[in-house]
Amino acid sequence: MSEATENRGERKVAIRLEKLSKTFPVQDEPAVKELSMDIYEGEIVVLVGPSGCGKTTTMKMINRIIEPSSGRIYISGEDVTDANPDQLRRSIGYVIQQIGLFPHMTIADNIATVPRMLGWDKERVSSRVDELLETVHLPTSYRDRYPKELSGGQRQRIGVARAMAADPPIMLMDEPFGAVDPITRERLQDEFLGLQQEVLQKTIVFVTHDIDEAVKLGDRIAILRDQSEIAQYDTPETILTDPTDDYVEDFIGSGASLKRLSLSKVEDIKTAEWPVAHLTDSHDDVREKMKQSGREYVLLLDERDKPKRWVNWADVEQNGIPLKEAGWPSVAIVERCSSLYDTLDTMITSYRGSAVVVDENEGKYQGVVDFATVLSAIEEMRPQEGRQAPDFIAEREDLPS
Amino acid sequence: MSAQETKEAPRREEPPESPQQQPGKKSGGRTAQSMGWTLARYLVMPVFLVLVCLGLYLGISSRTLDSIEKRSLSGEYIIQKVIEHLEISAVATALVVLISVTAGVILTRPVMRRVAPYIVGIASTGQALPSIGVIVLIVVLTGQFGFKVAVFSLIVYAFLPILRNTMVGIQQVDQSIIEAGRGMGMTNAAVLFKIELPLAIPIMLAGIRTALIIVVGTAALATFINAGGMGDIINSGITLSRDTILITGSVLTAVVALSVDYIGGIAEDVLKPKGL
Repeated sequence: MSEATENRGERKVAIRLEKLSKTFPVQDEPAVKELSMDIYEGEIVVLVGPSGCGKTTTMKMINRIIEPSSGRIYISGEDVTDANPDQLRRSIGYVIQQIGLFPHMTIADNIATVPRMLGWDKERVSSRVDELLETVHLPTSYRDRYPKELSGGQRQRIGVARAMAADPPIMLMDEPFGAVDPITRERLQDEFLGLQQEVLQKTIVFVTHDIDEAVKLGDRIAILRDQSEIAQYDTPETILTDPTDDYVEDFIGSGASLKRLSLSKVEDIKTAEWPVAHLTDSHDDVREKMKQSGREYVLLLDERDKPKRWVNWADVEQNGIPLKEAGWPSVAIVERCSSLYDTLDTMITSYRGSAVVVDENEGKYQGVVDFATVLSAIEEMRPQEGRQAPDFIAEREDLPS
Repeated sequence: MSAQETKEAPRREEPPESPQQQPGKKSGGRTAQSMGWTLARYLVMPVFLVLVCLGLYLGISSRTLDSIEKRSLSGEYIIQKVIEHLEISAVATALVVLISVTAGVILTRPVMRRVAPYIVGIASTGQALPSIGVIVLIVVLTGQFGFKVAVFSLIVYAFLPILRNTMVGIQQVDQSIIEAGRGMGMTNAAVLFKIELPLAIPIMLAGIRTALIIVVGTAALATFINAGGMGDIINSGITLSRDTILITGSVLTAVVALSVDYIGGIAEDVLKPKGL
């Protein structure tokens, strides 16, 4: 995600909203008031805010399901405010919370909706349907089923597949994972992130009221207050560590620092110096290493460098007990790509208050993290004095500081 | 009564299948069983109607008929009257479906939202009047008799059920489905013909079936404006004080009405979109 920030300069603006307003008939106050915002290509931008703040209205103005009262919408530099809405929408994927699958059409027909409107030939449509079913991890035998024969999570996947059917460069997603159970939601989120990183690389505008979902999925988060006024528009890291005002701070809620930990990977922090030995080593060697390091425990590895056991002085003082059975088994193990949040969670439940880091493939020992290492990592995340405001947020200049 | 029973039977038979619990199960397994039920259900009504006709035939042939009865109960005469009856009903139904479905579609467009209740109100008065009243009123207003007047009054009378069900059918379509369609770039016409109407079909068909029964039943009154039909048999039974003719006419009218309802029921099953 930090990579996105660095490359920002080269990226093009995919969607530009310019002083966009919407006042619904019969209402005095506008639902969205003069919102301006740039969304860069290939990024997931999450609009997040309390109910009724206008985030959904904002998103629906991008494909003009809701026509703006004033302001302009540019997509890839082109002013689409007055373009033919039907044509416009065929190039923008659209996923809504209720999914809205057509119940009287088969899964294949549902997915084929936009390709058919675009006049693709039968074979191309058919192979695209198969391809998409595979992409969303559903068997191609589901083609001829009807939506009611699918579970909620499966329907949601079809909804995403349908939106991606004609490979639109932009996707709008309105709380797409809101209506499924928490476990399914997490799985769908993970799949979706994996998909975006590996295949899609699309510009995605994602609406949610759930800050955790925003932090997890967003390359950039726009926290909105009433009338879609941007309170802060930045990377999740910055928002969590450096909220602009009380409103943002309130919205991200308590535990912001903990949430921040879910954005850093354990491989990004420095592991602690720790004595290690092998199960094949002699007791003398182990004692020697413990003395030299000044630590109370030594980690024992097997012949493939996989962490096996923890031993303390008392365990190896006598030569009687073989090292294979001495001490405690090492169970608090995290992979290099694990988040600091998960690492901390593992550490809390372990005996030693420390976790062993291994590589993803072979489970080889990489290092040990303890509370001290995590604390110093957190220390580094804190905002530094006199930091410059990121230049990509046009609105920041207008905001009271 | 039996039409009611048979209609509900298959609904009870459908297992309350929850897709979450049986994601691997294909719908194909269920259809074989439910097809057997559908077949049984389809057989009950025709068998019943044939038995009624047979009973009627045996009852009449066991009696000695006078010359008036013989003329009114000849097969040729009865068939002619049934055909007349069905002609009036068919033309009236075809026209009323065309008119009221179109009206229903127009009245559910967003532009018409304000005027729709008034038009439904006017249509309701057509149905609130007694059927014979509608027919007489139209004769009085137009000064004409015969086939066209009969058809016209039946249209007035059957307009409401179809109109109302078309409107309800379209209005009950889940807004999120329509929004998804629009969001993918469907034109208004595509939304109407590919989403709204197909999803409204079950409710529309129920309205059309109701209208059909009303039309077939009310067509018996066409005799009073010289439009023929099975009302002629009943009416001659009354005016000539021949109970045999009266009963035959009444029973046959009921048989025709039930047959039409039966065919309507099959049509509903066949035309209903899959997946609903």
